Amino acid sequence: MDKKNKVNREDLPEVYIDDILMSLKYYTDEHEFHLEIIDPKVCQQCVDKPCIDFCPVGCYRAQDGDTVQIAVQSCIECGTCRILCPYFNISWKYPRGGFGVNYKFG
Amino acid sequence: MSNEKIQFDVVVVGAGLAGSTAAAIAARHGLDVAIIERGRSPGGKNFFGGALYTHSLEEIYPDLWDRKPPLERPVTETGFWFLSKDGMVKATVQGGRINNEPIDAYVALRAKFDSWWAEQAEEEGAFIIPKTLVTDFIYEEGQVVGVTTDRPQGDIYAPVIIICEGVNNILTQKLGLIDHDIQPTKAALAVKQLISLSPKTINARLGLPSRKHGMAISVVGDVSMGMPGLGFLYTADKAVSLGVGVTLHALQETQIKPYELLQRYLEHPAIAPIIEGGQLMEYGAHLIPEGGWKEMPKLFTGGAMVAGDAASMVNALHWEGTNMAIVAGKQAGLTAIEAHQKGDFSAQTLSSYQDGLQERFVMKDLRQYRRMSKFLANHPEFMEIYPTFLNDAMGNFFTSFGKPKRQLYKEIWRSLTSRRSLLKVIGDMVSFGRAVIGI
Repeated sequence: MDKKNKVNREDLPEVYIDDILMSLKYYTDEHEFHLEIIDPKVCQQCVDKPCIDFCPVGCYRAQDGDTVQIAVQSCIECGTCRILCPYFNISWKYPRGGFGVNYKFG
Repeated sequence: MSNEKIQFDVVVVGAGLAGSTAAAIAARHGLDVAIIERGRSPGGKNFFGGALYTHSLEEIYPDLWDRKPPLERPVTETGFWFLSKDGMVKATVQGGRINNEPIDAYVALRAKFDSWWAEQAEEEGAFIIPKTLVTDFIYEEGQVVGVTTDRPQGDIYAPVIIICEGVNNILTQKLGLIDHDIQPTKAALAVKQLISLSPKTINARLGLPSRKHGMAISVVGDVSMGMPGLGFLYTADKAVSLGVGVTLHALQETQIKPYELLQRYLEHPAIAPIIEGGQLMEYGAHLIPEGGWKEMPKLFTGGAMVAGDAASMVNALHWEGTNMAIVAGKQAGLTAIEAHQKGDFSAQTLSSYQDGLQERFVMKDLRQYRRMSKFLANHPEFMEIYPTFLNDAMGNFFTSFGKPKRQLYKEIWRSLTSRRSLLKVIGDMVSFGRAVIGI
């Protein structure tokens, strides 16, 4: 059931998400990470690694081919990864009070 | 203070639209109300398209306009834009009842608006506790009597807790009001860019007579690349909001990057000229609970009620949710008052929250549209085939090229039937009708 062909991916422009994230204001918690990969081995065995695509701020990045790193400081706390990780391998919490994204306009 | 129990009459979790409304209603009646907000200040975590509905704001503050709410433009033109790959058919309404005072909807920016909406609750006497995350509940004899927070000695007690935690309803789940997390088919991820442009440019490019005119547009078709989803355009005073939302299930199936989908929309030949030369002011993303009636948690239990996105109060077809949150917040506030008058905070007393909502459009609409999210997920042709057909048909009808008209109609007919059989078209219309009427 390969539905990936349903959408013509060549039709999509390339976007440097880091440039776009410059428009956001964050208060980064230096002491506590609110997102964590529960078992890195599960990510190594995950073929598609969909988190790299579905995260709207590109928090999840492939490292050395088969592991996944989280750029927690970019997280906007939307909840997508908690719901879509195929192995429920992400420990998802809100950041501590006062930390995380702070929308100016919203 | 450290050994003393922190006690309020009502604790509200989350200073969004539902939360600050519930708090204002209860505080206005003289109750001691705390609103606990995890952001640095109210509004900092809140994000939408979007427009607010005047009826709901005025229901809480009849003197709304004297209070000078930080709203952007009134919505004086609204409707659909149907996008094909390189064109667009517009179906919008303006003037008439759209222009009657009070204007039905205003574009707003939630970080600004929610901060102001919380200030109004403060003026009614509510106490805001910012930078504080509610982590769990405190129970006594099976009844909720307080919350724990991420602050040291941060337990806060109240006989009524109103949960307005937003779409990621972790606390609602913890309380057992719903037995599962959000399903990928029952939520959409919306991504948006707020792009600054001078008011003059906005007016000229969108055909608006002045800054006192604005647009709320739902964009259907090529914008979602065949996935169940919609795009949108809203005019703030000095900026336009453009975004696109698709179901999480569609993101899962297609593995596209949401910000690339958005960029593709912004580069569409009918959209790009609107925002040319504009500067990105803010990007963001938010989940929309689209499961509606069928994904609603139980709305109350002993000592607690839930309102707003956390309670799945969104009408996905009509883009309503903020008005439901406000009306539900009000109803929860009224129920908290009633419970204090009785001195009884049991589930039985709090059930009047749900009874009250049943009398309002909130539950009536959600029930009527209970099949809508499934319908839209199962009928991608409404996102793809029909908008393209509409563009083809109109494009054909309004061009000449020296063709006999009989051939023209044949071509229009074929551009529909080559994409979908007539029988299926009829079936689509019938099931759309059923999803709307709710039978």
